[in-house]
Order: sequence, then C-alpha cells, then structure tokens
Amino acid sequence: MSRPRFSTWFALGVVAVLVCLLATAVWLGRETSPAGRTVLTLRLWDQQVAAAYRESLDAFTAANPDIEVRVDVVAYAGYFDSLRTDVAGGSADDIFWISNAYFAGYADSGRLLPIAPSPDWEPAVVDQFTRDQTLWGVPQLTDAGIALYYNAELLAQAGVDPADLDGLQWGTPGDSLRPLAMRLTVDAQGRRAGEPGFDPGRIRQWGYNAANDLQGIYLNFIGSAGGTFSADDRFTFDNPQAATAFDYLVALINTDHAAPPAAATNDNGDFSRNQFLAGRMALFQSGTYNLANVAQAPFEWGVAMLPRGPAGRVSVTNGIVAAGNSATKHPEATRRVLAWLGSTEGNSYLGAGGAAIPAVRSAQRVYHDYWAGRGVDVGPFFDVLDGPHLSAPGGTGFAAGFTALKPYFDEMFLGRLPVPRALQQAQEAANTAAAR
Amino acid sequence: MTSPRSWLVYLGLVVGAVITLAPFSLGLLTSVTSASQFATGSPLSWPDPPTLENYSGLAGFGFGRALVVTALMTAVILVGQLTFSVLAAYAFARLEFPGRDTLFWVYIATLMVPATVTVVPLYLMMAQLGLRNTFWALVLPFVFGSPYAIFLLREHFRAIPRDLERAARIDGANTLDVLVHVVLPSSRPILVTLALITVVTQWNSFMWPLVITSGSQWRVLTVATAGLQSQYNAQWTLVMAATTIAIVPLLVLFLAFQRHITRSIVVTGLK
Repeated sequence: MSRPRFSTWFALGVVAVLVCLLATAVWLGRETSPAGRTVLTLRLWDQQVAAAYRESLDAFTAANPDIEVRVDVVAYAGYFDSLRTDVAGGSADDIFWISNAYFAGYADSGRLLPIAPSPDWEPAVVDQFTRDQTLWGVPQLTDAGIALYYNAELLAQAGVDPADLDGLQWGTPGDSLRPLAMRLTVDAQGRRAGEPGFDPGRIRQWGYNAANDLQGIYLNFIGSAGGTFSADDRFTFDNPQAATAFDYLVALINTDHAAPPAAATNDNGDFSRNQFLAGRMALFQSGTYNLANVAQAPFEWGVAMLPRGPAGRVSVTNGIVAAGNSATKHPEATRRVLAWLGSTEGNSYLGAGGAAIPAVRSAQRVYHDYWAGRGVDVGPFFDVLDGPHLSAPGGTGFAAGFTALKPYFDEMFLGRLPVPRALQQAQEAANTAAAR
Repeated sequence: MTSPRSWLVYLGLVVGAVITLAPFSLGLLTSVTSASQFATGSPLSWPDPPTLENYSGLAGFGFGRALVVTALMTAVILVGQLTFSVLAAYAFARLEFPGRDTLFWVYIATLMVPATVTVVPLYLMMAQLGLRNTFWALVLPFVFGSPYAIFLLREHFRAIPRDLERAARIDGANTLDVLVHVVLPSSRPILVTLALITVVTQWNSFMWPLVITSGSQWRVLTVATAGLQSQYNAQWTLVMAATTIAIVPLLVLFLAFQRHITRSIVVTGLK
C-alpha cells in the first residue's frame, strides 16, 4: 500500500483546522437549558438596569421555579433597528423594552400583548403607552420631570441665592431667566455677559444650557409657552407659542451668548453636561437620567424647579414599558413574568441603585430613599409633575419625522435659519417623512 | 547634502504621518483617561493619572467573549475563503468544462451587487433556516469564497506557466498535487494579500453581525463597541479602550506582513 501523498495530508490538514474551529464554535454556543423549565428572554438597552433586572428575575424564578428569564442587552444605538428585524422575522424576545417614540407601529400591527392597567402604575406612563383605549406594555421606568441642576459655588460667586431659582420665569414681563443666565456667563477677562467689553468669542463659564435638546430643553419650553410639539401622530410645532419658545432659546444662544453655541451642542448631547461637570456652567436643565452623572460633580450642587413660562411650569415626562411579544411561544409564562415586573416587589429592584425611577408608584420609595441617603433632594423632578405636563412625543412615523426635522432645527439653533421659516419647513419635512 | 526638495518631501511625509497617527494617539490617550477627567477636562489633556479602569471595565460588557467570537468568525471565514476561492479559481483558470467562462463572468457580475442590497434576502434565508442569532449565520454568507478573491486568484493562476504543471504531471502528480506543489507556492504573495483583505474585512464587519445576531452570545467586537454607548452616555473612554483593543491584532498583522501589504498594493491596485 502506498503512503498518502503530501498534498493529501495538506488537504486533510486544512479540513482538520476547519473542523477544530467549528467545534470551538459549537462549544461556545452550547446551551445550558435547565430541564423542565420554560426559558423566556427579556430584551432591554441599559446595562445598569439589566443588573437590577437580573436580581428581580432571580427572585421571580425562586418563587416560580418552572420559569427562567434571561436578560438580553442590546445597545440603544441599534436597539430599534434590530428589534424591527427580529419582530418581523418572528424571532424577537418574549418581552422587550420599548419607548414611546417607537411603540405605536408595533401596537398598530398587533405585535404586542394588550395589558390590563393597574392603578398603582405611573399615570403619565400609562397614558403614553395607551393607544385606542388599550395599554400596550407594563410600565417599568419613568424619567419623572425636568428640573434645574445648579453649581452652588458659581451661584455664590455671582451673589445668587439658590432659593431664588425656584421663582425663575421666562417669556413674561418679569423675565428673570435671561438676566440671570447672562449674569452667570463670564468671559476670559472675568466680564459678565451684557457688560461693556464682554467677549463672546472667549467665554470661560456658561450661564445656562439652552440647546437643541428635545427632552431636556425645548419640549419644556414649548409646553411652558402653551404650545404643542405633536398631536395624533402629526408634528404640530409650527404654532405661535412654540415659536415664542424657540425664539427665546435661539436668542439666549446667539444674541445673549448665555448658552454654548449650537455648533458645540447640535451633535454632541454630552457637551452641556460635561461643561457643568467641569464647573464651567452654572445652570444645567435636565432630568433624572443625568442624576447619577451629576452626583460625581466635584463641587457643591443642588436641584431647583424648572423655570416657569408664559403658560406656567410645564415639564415633559417620559417612560419605558416592558412589552409582551404577541408571537411568543409561551404566552402564559410571559404574562406571569409581566405581572411580576409590574408588581411593587418586582419593580422596586430597578430603583434600588438610584439609576432609574420605578414606574410602579409603590416601588418608588427605594429611589427616594437612595438619594435621600446621599443628601440629594429629588423633589423638584417629581413636584413639577403635580401641575400640567407633556408626554414625550411618539406615534407612527415619529422616528422618521424626527430625523427629518433635525437639519432644520440645527440651522435654527445655529441662528442661520429664522425661527418661523425653520418651524414651517421642519414641520412639513417631518410630517412628510412620518407619513411614508 | 540634503537638497531642499528632499526636505520638502520629508516635511510632507512627517505631516502625513502626524495626520495618520493623531487619531490613534488620541484614542490611546482617551482610553487611559478616567471618565470623570474626560468629562470635566479638555479632550486633549494628559491623563492624570493614567488609568486602566476603562480596559478592566470592558469585562463587564462581555467584551472578552466578543473578542473570542470575532477571532473565531474571522478564522473560519479566512480558512473557508482561501480554500474555496483557490479551488474555484483553479477550476476557472485551468480545468476545461462546458460553459466555464460564461459561469465565471456571471459569477463575477455579482460583484456589481452592493452588499447592502443582499442583507434583507440573506436575513430572510437565515431566519427561514432557523439560523438567526447563530454562529453559522455569521459565517455562512462569506465562508465559500468571494467573487473578488476568485477573480484575483484566477488571473494569477493563469499567469503561471503551463509547462510547470505539465512537468509535474509527467512526474505523476494529480490535480491536488499540482495545486499544492506548484500553484500555491508560486502564489504566496497573492494569497497573503487575500488573507489580509479577508481578515481586515471580517474583523471590522458590523452591518451583517448587527442584523443577524442579538444578545451577547454571538456579539462581535464592532457591535459590542457600538453597544458601549447608552441612551444618555456616550462613554467615550470605554469606546476608545474597546477600539484600542480591537485594533491591536490588525496592527500586529500589519507589522508582520508589511512587505506583503506594500506588494499587495502593487498586485491588486488597492490603496
């Protein structure tokens, strides 16, 4: 018998390498599915909250040994792209987080399980995710309202009492926000905005964070001016009240120079927050979603109420729900998990670390306790919702419409497109894109 | 003495080097800067003190597994692409069979179809086969060679003198012997070029893994890096640590095969 040739050994070697690599892949992909258990998956986009969910779901499995829930974290940047393909392909998770901006399309196409509302759930979140009189998800988190973070040291240097911040108003004869923001804006020579010789090209400290920021800034201004941003799946921001709000913001940036230029903030949502954390911004209007970041600030800080506008103090509020996949292979088990996630016990895990506010009201105590333990009064974020408030916008085609309006808003905040023309063109473009 | 013209050339090269290296240096610098310093200081400030917390922080995001999955995916596709492309290219270059050239040009014509156009049909195929979110879905569309690789190899194989092959056949060599003993040894530069192109392409691939996988089980480096950016936090220090790690294997490859890369630019006309 002749010996195999080198070329045969060579070919066998290539095949062996391929087999070894594939065997490694098989080993990596081995499933550790426990016998007799129904395994469900929950998809969300936040790593920090995922850890809290794992604790909550471990407690659920301890009480319900026949069900195991695995948490699947997908980055926010691609979350809704991959969710769409997975839902369309019938391979989405049994339960997934969904936001107000995207849920309408899924609800309308019958992709979500209807949910019976509970009186213990945050009403604003229930309203946000109710469409055609049906609730389409179990409220999980709420952002509460928007408030004003302040740098106590910079206020002291300007001789401002933090208690006065709660009385701030804009767009009224007694406008106090603009003069204060200018007083808190300082150039490299130490001159304040509005003083003779003030150099707007060399500012070392900003007064306020007026910017092209939907949730933190302009929705609150529109609401406080009595205007609307959207209604019934259509963009409606081309109205006189919204124009008043945008005029005020654009002037703060480009005329008064009391806020960073739009060139720095239009495409960098972190810019204002980082300026505040660096001690280069006195007032930073934002939500609880930035509380954990602000808590790391190396200076004394506090939280004050949102400034009042011509129509009062109207904050935006937002929420996230856990939606049940209507195509799940385990509808009964999915409903049991959803019921747990909407319970006080199941939901309270999410607030224990102070990073997120549970949307089950009886579970919110842990969040308040966490921040009270650190000496932070989070009251202004909640008190602002006692009055009228706006829900974060959403609806069919919202995401496409919002993408379409951005270039017009960018130009408007840069001061290159007059506010009335920008609003008119942006609304037209947004509604056209949303209708496609 | 160095002429003024040489000085200008050197100046141009130095400027080119600075422009090329600056983004990498900034990335490296950011990766050893603490998140709080990055948020409060200038992006160009020197890390004070330098920290490895961003690198250790990556472990919490499943970055180690993503590294293994990416390496495995790249290795499988590399072995598959080289093997199947060599076999196909040799068949198109040397074997005689009816319709050979028509088949070849039809296959090459698929080069004109943009990759993005095939994403949806490929996704549907994988979903129907039940392969979504599996390792097989990551590698199957690319493991059986590519028109570009086959075209490149076929042209090279055709340039190898037939007399060499005939001499081997007279010595009793079969087709596999000819391939292993004659064709492959004389095609080393083009094979290295192809290997490098394949490794770089697959190591950096983002679109297909993003679409076909979900969750952490088969997440690749690029998708994991994108995943570091949350809704309200860009986490640039973590992202820069991740990209620094992701680029190391490519740098090693570049240093090891610099000569071949330079040559590959000549061979393929790629820049």
